[in-house]
Amino acid sequence: MAHILDMHLHSEASDDSRAPVEAYLKWLARKRDERPLEGLVLTEHRQFHAAGDYRDLEDKYGVLILKASEVETDYGHVLVYGVNDDILKRFDFKNVRLPAQEVISEVARMGGIAMPCHPGRPTIGLIEHYGKRPPLEGVTGVEALNGGSKKGENERVAELISQYGYHAFGGSDSHLVSFVGLCATEFDRDIKNMDDLVDALRVGGYRPVDFRSPRPQTQVAPEV
Amino acid sequence: MALEFDRSIIGQVFDETSFPAVTTEEIVDYALSLGETNPLYIDEAAAATGPYGGLIAPPTFVSKLRAQKFTPEHLPKFGKFGFDGGRDLELYTPVRPGDELVMLSTIHDIYEKTGRTGSMYFIVIRNEVRNQKGEKVAVIDHRIMQR
Amino acid sequence: MNTFYFEEIEEGDELPAIDFFLSKDGVRQFAKTAGMYFPRFTDDEGARAEGLPGMIAPGVMSLGLLARMISDWNPAAVVKRIGTTFRSPVLPDRNVHLRGAVTQKNDEDHTAECDIWMENDDGERWVIGTATVVLPVKA
Repeated sequence: MAHILDMHLHSEASDDSRAPVEAYLKWLARKRDERPLEGLVLTEHRQFHAAGDYRDLEDKYGVLILKASEVETDYGHVLVYGVNDDILKRFDFKNVRLPAQEVISEVARMGGIAMPCHPGRPTIGLIEHYGKRPPLEGVTGVEALNGGSKKGENERVAELISQYGYHAFGGSDSHLVSFVGLCATEFDRDIKNMDDLVDALRVGGYRPVDFRSPRPQTQVAPEV
Repeated sequence: MALEFDRSIIGQVFDETSFPAVTTEEIVDYALSLGETNPLYIDEAAAATGPYGGLIAPPTFVSKLRAQKFTPEHLPKFGKFGFDGGRDLELYTPVRPGDELVMLSTIHDIYEKTGRTGSMYFIVIRNEVRNQKGEKVAVIDHRIMQR
Repeated sequence: MNTFYFEEIEEGDELPAIDFFLSKDGVRQFAKTAGMYFPRFTDDEGARAEGLPGMIAPGVMSLGLLARMISDWNPAAVVKRIGTTFRSPVLPDRNVHLRGAVTQKNDEDHTAECDIWMENDDGERWVIGTATVVLPVKA
């Protein structure tokens, strides 16, 4: 059902976004020619949004909607896919200093997968921490293309990937409706549910895709 | 640093500031410094024939009001530097020249996150602005980031 | 300047962008009228002493500029709510671009929900936010 998914976005369930899931879906429907997405993975900040039920919206818009989480660790922010009760019992997602190595290892053992996001970002990205401490064991892939990055932050990731042999994926990190799907991930296999996604993320066969249009040259007025 | 403070501070009014009457000049200067060309904000004569029967201030004008006490006296400092993390404005009755505004301040929330610059503490100050008629003008949530 | 009605906008409409050079003098002028004439908003040295890379524009200036974009788009639009997150310090002496789009229309109260943001020449979004505006309806 889905080959191209936005792997990282925040809905109104996150503290810093006001975007309703349906508004994301309507925007995607409108922009389908430019952003041919078939799935969204909602990665709410410091929580798993258990109450969110998007089945009706999936049917209405024909888009796969999966739920995941973005947690904060001592090696930066990490996206957790395949969140289940065991994982939620083991880790307090509200803790902004989760031990990254335990999150990576334990989430994998409990059937999910934890993937560092925006690794090129200061403080909350993996690269800065790799410069100071040993690399994490068991990381299979990182978010190499993040729609919220500043200049240079995505570019820094290439070296990390070649050095450690990580798989690469992409996400918009959208907090606003109109940014949905600008960066995404293309999978070779068909993703039908979270189990498929976790399997695919483990073995590879995916890559980031960039749907941002080149910046137009704008005429700039001299001053306000 | 752990996020430890007396939570009873949340919701308590810690400041009430009354401001001198808003002047036309103040509104027009503010609007012009943002490059506004909307006659409602800058042209008294044109605004007089408009929907408000006179000049009004741009919606964000209330964000320039400064309370006497920015934060409560007993609030611990969570970081060396403070930065403006963001504002949320709910707007009701517009501000007009001659308005005598009163602002009540409360701590609305305090929480912690990590960002590009490290661990950050967010203090959300809620300011309620009323005019001399007791009408609600605005509720401003001001997120201050300390690190 | 054209005013227009709720019925004339569509979800997906872009607000006319404002692209301009944000000068240090422009920031100082705002700081003065907003009663914020503090070192971090007026000179590089003062800003560096506060741990900043150089003089910055006040967050409320970005907020005000984004509200101005709405006012330029439709002077009859009434802003009921506007919220912005200051993601990154806004450094003057360079181009900034104000952008926006209508993301949701509510027929019951004739409001439009808009995305609003400020970015630099590299497409870095320094300020992001949303606004709820009431538009006039046809009689």
